[in-house]
Amino acid sequence: MSEYLTTTFDKFELRVRKGFYYTKDDLWVSIENGKVKVGVSDYLQKTSGDVAFVEVAKTGSTVETGRAFGTIESAKTTVALLSPLSGRLDEANSKLTGSPELVNSDPYGEGWLVIIAPRNIEHDRASLLSADDYFKLMLEKLQSEHGKLESR
Amino acid sequence: MDAPAQKKVIIIPCSGIGKAFGSISRDATYEVTENLRKDTTQTLCLALLVSGDEESRRLVSSNKCITVDGCPLRCAEKNVKLAGGNLAGSLRVVDAYKKNRHLKPRSVTFLDPDGRQMAAALAGKIVKKVDDLLGEQ
Amino acid sequence: MTEAQKKKVGIISCSGEGCVEGTISRVATRLVLGKLRPIETVTICLPLFLAGGREEREFARDYPTITVDGCDKMCAKIATERYSGKPASSIVVADMLKNWQCPKLSSRRELNDETLAVARKVANRIAEEVDEVLKHWV
Repeated sequence: MSEYLTTTFDKFELRVRKGFYYTKDDLWVSIENGKVKVGVSDYLQKTSGDVAFVEVAKTGSTVETGRAFGTIESAKTTVALLSPLSGRLDEANSKLTGSPELVNSDPYGEGWLVIIAPRNIEHDRASLLSADDYFKLMLEKLQSEHGKLESR
Repeated sequence: MDAPAQKKVIIIPCSGIGKAFGSISRDATYEVTENLRKDTTQTLCLALLVSGDEESRRLVSSNKCITVDGCPLRCAEKNVKLAGGNLAGSLRVVDAYKKNRHLKPRSVTFLDPDGRQMAAALAGKIVKKVDDLLGEQ
Repeated sequence: MTEAQKKKVGIISCSGEGCVEGTISRVATRLVLGKLRPIETVTICLPLFLAGGREEREFARDYPTITVDGCDKMCAKIATERYSGKPASSIVVADMLKNWQCPKLSSRRELNDETLAVARKVANRIAEEVDEVLKHWV
């Protein structure tokens, strides 16, 4: 059985990783050993274009739910990354400095952004979307999309 | 005895049609081959090379080549390698963008002012590489 | 699959750097994708297609395609047939220009007004082909 929910838009296959949580702003959240790993969804990386810069808050910073903790930037757009939870930013993916394209090529794997030590994961988890619910939201966003996604 | 034909550097852009960076790779290549280094460089059609065209294959295997790719997928670099090209350099438009972060080329069909500027910056990088390679010959 | 997703045509254009007809192919295709038939068409990036791009090849296999080549080497048509299947329609810009008895064209890098007018004419022709392909494709 596939580990992804998938849909096709034009020639692009868009995937939602099962077992992760999601935000309405297209970030994914994976809870591992009490820590939270965060990245961008396939939909967000596709609509953002080829990522050239990834900037996140310093390690050790406090992050708050709904507040920006960083940005991803392409020639097409700059996207503010809104934190899915409150806590302490413990680690940033150092590979993204030299290889920001990992965000595009492997958004659910090697393209992860940060690891956060959560302040109250049970409280924050209640606001997150399941993979199924995020998939439905993504379909709604695609339906209302009039422009074309860039080639990849 | 005839003098041997002067070696040229072959510049091959990806010319990816879906992104502004593809158009920039193409324009930067023309700037070099038609203007900045028109006597010592030339370009060729990537698709023609991949289709097996004998003349194209001979050209890329007997001269040094520089590929210019619009995105991290590096199609020009991959295809030239597969075709047996003598790959001496691989440039990416994104590297010119990283040095010119203020430029935001949007238009794909016809380059906008930011696209032209980025193409000019990239052409400068290509020329530097060409000069390095010709200096080695 | 939605109705909207069903009715799509892939346009595979050469970008032949070697001749102005290659530039015309590219510009005309972009005009179709961006202005004339934006909902009905999808661009297939030829270099990515050649390099093995999965999405490009699968789309060209599953949907009708129109190839647009600058010259009679027909690189886009040959690649499509080799990797995905026979295109529904093929256009060769050089042949069109011969039939239209076009005046001498501008450089391959920048299109002047005359050459741009030719590109627009080619774009309209491609759009007609798109309509024809969709009419006959269930």
